[in-house]
Amino acid sequence: MADDHHFLPLSPAALHILLSLAGEDMHGYAIMQEIARQSGGQYKMGPGTLYDNLQRLMDREWVEDLGQRAGDEDPRRRYYRLTLSGRGVLEAETARLAGVVREARSRLQSTRPSLRKPRRA
Amino acid sequence: MLRRLYRCALRLHPRGFRRRFGDEMLSIFDHEQAGLAAFRLLLDGLVSLTRQWTLRQEFWRELPANQALQPTPIGVPSFSTIDPFRPRSAAVVPGALLSIALFCATCFAIRYSWIHVLHVHIPEVQFERSRWVPPSAGVSASSREDSVSPIEKGQSSPAISITSHSPLSQQPVVPAATVGTRGTPVPKKFSIESKVPSQTIPVTSTATAKSVIGAEARSAAADAPLDAAEREQVIQGAIRNLRRYYIDPPMSQTMAESLRRHAENGDDDEATQGETFAKLLTMQLRAVSHDQHLSVIYNQSAIPEGVTRPTPEAIAQYRQEMERTNCTLEKVETLPHNVGYVKLNSFPDLQLCQPKIAAAMASLNGADAIIFDLRDNHGGSPGMVAFVASYLFDHPTHLDDFYNRSENSTLQSWTLSPIQGNKLADKPVLVLTSAETFSGAEEFAYDLKMLKRATLVGETTAGGAHMVRHRRINEHFSIGVPDTRPINPVSRSNWEGTGVTPDVSVRAAEALRTAESLAETMLQK
Repeated sequence: MADDHHFLPLSPAALHILLSLAGEDMHGYAIMQEIARQSGGQYKMGPGTLYDNLQRLMDREWVEDLGQRAGDEDPRRRYYRLTLSGRGVLEAETARLAGVVREARSRLQSTRPSLRKPRRA
Repeated sequence: MLRRLYRCALRLHPRGFRRRFGDEMLSIFDHEQAGLAAFRLLLDGLVSLTRQWTLRQEFWRELPANQALQPTPIGVPSFSTIDPFRPRSAAVVPGALLSIALFCATCFAIRYSWIHVLHVHIPEVQFERSRWVPPSAGVSASSREDSVSPIEKGQSSPAISITSHSPLSQQPVVPAATVGTRGTPVPKKFSIESKVPSQTIPVTSTATAKSVIGAEARSAAADAPLDAAEREQVIQGAIRNLRRYYIDPPMSQTMAESLRRHAENGDDDEATQGETFAKLLTMQLRAVSHDQHLSVIYNQSAIPEGVTRPTPEAIAQYRQEMERTNCTLEKVETLPHNVGYVKLNSFPDLQLCQPKIAAAMASLNGADAIIFDLRDNHGGSPGMVAFVASYLFDHPTHLDDFYNRSENSTLQSWTLSPIQGNKLADKPVLVLTSAETFSGAEEFAYDLKMLKRATLVGETTAGGAHMVRHRRINEHFSIGVPDTRPINPVSRSNWEGTGVTPDVSVRAAEALRTAESLAETMLQK
């Protein structure tokens, strides 16, 4: 686990994929839709980027390939699951981001008055 | 239509990626296949195609779902590695291309680089006065200065008459050299060259020049008379070679002007013999440049065109000569107070004489100090210089750089230290010099002085640092053009024209006695 921390910070694509899979196992198309939903439609990931990232996440063993599921509406779909180490990385990244957010908030609050200082001659 | 294009794009993906994700990507395309979305997906597919081929080489290989180690049957030899890394088969092509490129770059660098690091042996470069090659060997573009080693010094009458002015002519010489050489037909070019200590020839004096010419004329009675046209041809050839190859271009211009001026003044008109004319031109060149490695040489037999090697007879003759003179090792002995003494009268060919020189050095291995007597040494092979110096250091030591003007290249000369079993590396070293110590012998003295490895005792040396290459002018004339200069890494300079000044200045005849008492003092400390 500790070894995985040097991959932080995660790229936005990797973060969104891990985040999508944090709730449940998903196929690629569902991941794309979930990412669009998470970002309020601001971040639309194409399949090329998605599978490129999935390829690397699987290589690092943060995500595992569950294979196809019988009875799926499209038998070509494969499902993916967040592994334990993937979850660990996601938690670490979330904690890091929380720290960033906290830091940003405190800075913004402390600098706000001076920024708003009226400058009138 | 777009779907077909998308499928094409997917098919063009690396095999590993395509097999793993191709179906899924097409499935997504099928779900999104509506107007603009399809275009966006196609674009995404093309971007992905580029990305996979350019940035994801590590995934070109198909990853098996489970990389299980295949058990090796008992008895079959195999290697086990801790790191599961295995080069991708796809890496073979870029790897091979990279190797070829590196190989070509290395070859190119070796061929054209400014500095070639060579250990000691510099094949076709020899200091003057190192070789004894008869005229049958020819003198060609690549042949080195074919002058006499000190042993042959006594062989030609004109040379004797000149050298007899030298105080060093009183020095003991190799016994064999003084015996039975009068009757030996000595190639004339050697007799011209024959080891004229520069200090004793007032080359600027017309009177002396004329008397020398007279002597030469007598010895060259068989020469065909030269006419003005041939003289002009030789002068032109000499100037052409000097301009092209001489180590100091401005000086080559000055020399060319001097040759022209002498010709116009009619100074050359009396020289109707080839030998005489060659000698005259040599003196005219040296009078201006003071470069004692410069010489114009007349060869009675025709000089072949193109590059020639010394003939087997010439090599055999040189070999015989080295055998006869024990590789010019005149004396190797242990003096009182266990001081080793070696009198070496040239730096002979390394390949031929290495065993003898090594044996001489080995015989002095137990000495507490060592004296190199180079008072009658007129130089030779830089390789041998470095070899002998190798005994005086315990690590490879940079002696000199040799800069060649015509090739614009620099060769480095290093010692071969340490030499196994050698105990002389930290012993005091004294080098005896005289006004006759020349060329390679000066290199030995100069380098050791610069490295503060030896105490030089005797006289300032003759002052010839350049290395010379012979170039054909016409059928009978050639010119030895110095085209290489040593650059000492310590002084960034050399001893051309100035000679090497001794640390302890005494007359050459006194040098050995002085060095012996110096060594004694050093050992008592």
